[in-house]
Amino acid sequence: MTETVGLSVEAVTVSFGDLTVIEDVTFGVDPGTVTCLIGPNGSGKTTMLRAVAGLLVPDSGSVDRPSTGTRPVGYLAQAPAFRPQFTVRETLSFYGDLVGESVDTESAMDRVGLSGVPDRRVEALSGGMTRLLGIAQATIGDPGLLVLDEPSSGLDPMMSHHITETISELADDGAAVIVATHDLGAVSRIADDTVLIDRGQIAATGAPDELLAETGAADLEDAMSALVSHESGEVATRVDGTGGSA
Amino acid sequence: MTVREAGRTALVFAQREFRTLLRTRTIAVLAAGYFLVIVGLVVAAGTGGYLPLTLDLLRPVEVLVPVLAFAFGYRAIFADAQRGELETIRTYPVSRTAFVGGVYLGRLAGFLWVVLAPLLVGAVLVATSPSEQVTVISAHETVDSPAIYLRFVTLTAVFGLVTLAIATAVSAVARSTREALALVTVLFIALVVGFDATIVAALSGGIISAGQVEPLLIFSPNSAFRGLVLSVAVGDVYTRGAMAGSPLAYSIGLASWFVVSLAAAMRTAWRT
Repeated sequence: MTETVGLSVEAVTVSFGDLTVIEDVTFGVDPGTVTCLIGPNGSGKTTMLRAVAGLLVPDSGSVDRPSTGTRPVGYLAQAPAFRPQFTVRETLSFYGDLVGESVDTESAMDRVGLSGVPDRRVEALSGGMTRLLGIAQATIGDPGLLVLDEPSSGLDPMMSHHITETISELADDGAAVIVATHDLGAVSRIADDTVLIDRGQIAATGAPDELLAETGAADLEDAMSALVSHESGEVATRVDGTGGSA
Repeated sequence: MTVREAGRTALVFAQREFRTLLRTRTIAVLAAGYFLVIVGLVVAAGTGGYLPLTLDLLRPVEVLVPVLAFAFGYRAIFADAQRGELETIRTYPVSRTAFVGGVYLGRLAGFLWVVLAPLLVGAVLVATSPSEQVTVISAHETVDSPAIYLRFVTLTAVFGLVTLAIATAVSAVARSTREALALVTVLFIALVVGFDATIVAALSGGIISAGQVEPLLIFSPNSAFRGLVLSVAVGDVYTRGAMAGSPLAYSIGLASWFVVSLAAAMRTAWRT
């Protein structure tokens, strides 16, 4: 990965009509580190990541991304999907062609553990393999910033561990990595920093150990429960009661 | 992004679309069906000459080319958006123009082969036919020539360009499969019968005069295509002395549909 200045998010607010999904959020991610975005369902994590990736324009505030490399941001969508008729190798080659460089598809597949299925069509990949392909795709063009939305959601523990190890390796290579996840076990393993979002606002930031120390909780699940303001078992909603889908 | 980079990126998308077409079974079935229908029509109508063949195929082509175009194009952009892959693509250094242009060109590369192949087979059947009989317009004074048919095939290709552009616009605008299907259905009905029926109704109702028909025909791609075929392809022999319309006006009509459709696709492709 290219050594870059990391991500800087300054006072970002995002609204959909009358609904404010993200409000005055500020944080940063240094190169070579992993920051995990955590929070209840509907708290605004995906919206925040889409703003960070440049897929939507904030109503106010700014997002400064690394400016080096052929592609500033590598993005893994929450439910990554690719053309089903194409093989793993063809898919990675296509994305490599988009950045105008010859991609070492063998290396990219090897990095995420897909080197055993280069000629398997996307339609025949499992959910975990598709996510791994999505992560491999996100690394094409050596972006200085990786934005990963729920990379281990719905996966078995072994696949989840494999993905988090891969993410750590990508950070070790110098990328600034931001990950939205509900997998608090993974957060404990890979996060250098966390940003806890609740109802579109930052409820807490700090390393996992700092969150534990701040709340006196035994684990991150208890710490998160102590720091967010809604009742357990409820989907987070905004003050006007119309939220919950962000 | 420079023009050269945009062109290179468009080519990457075009290759992806062309490969996708080659690997999509539905497209293969449609192509085979269209081929059989056109060649079957040629055989059934007899192979008496290029002019009768042109006139025999004009109406079927008018109907079937939009059907094929919509089948080839209505999911071209929409499928990427529906799957969520469009968001991934947008994180690459890709412009909307290069994306839509590439998608269109890739689909067009497959579409034109499918549209034109049976027409060329028809020409071969005429050329190799032992009989010289004219089965369709034998009562007319004719000067049969391969050039007539070549002009018809060329105009069919142009009509294909336009209808595929319309289909690409639908694929960019639609937000769901149901919406896309509704749009192509409405557009198909409008193109094949809607425009013409409206003009006929307006004429019979006295809303427009006979002299106003021709300018209105340019608003329909099908009417413009038909007008071009009758005026440019067979005009010399079939419509001699008759009002076949202005080729320039028809060309402007088709060009407008083409430009507006692709512009709409480029404007709406990056949905947020």
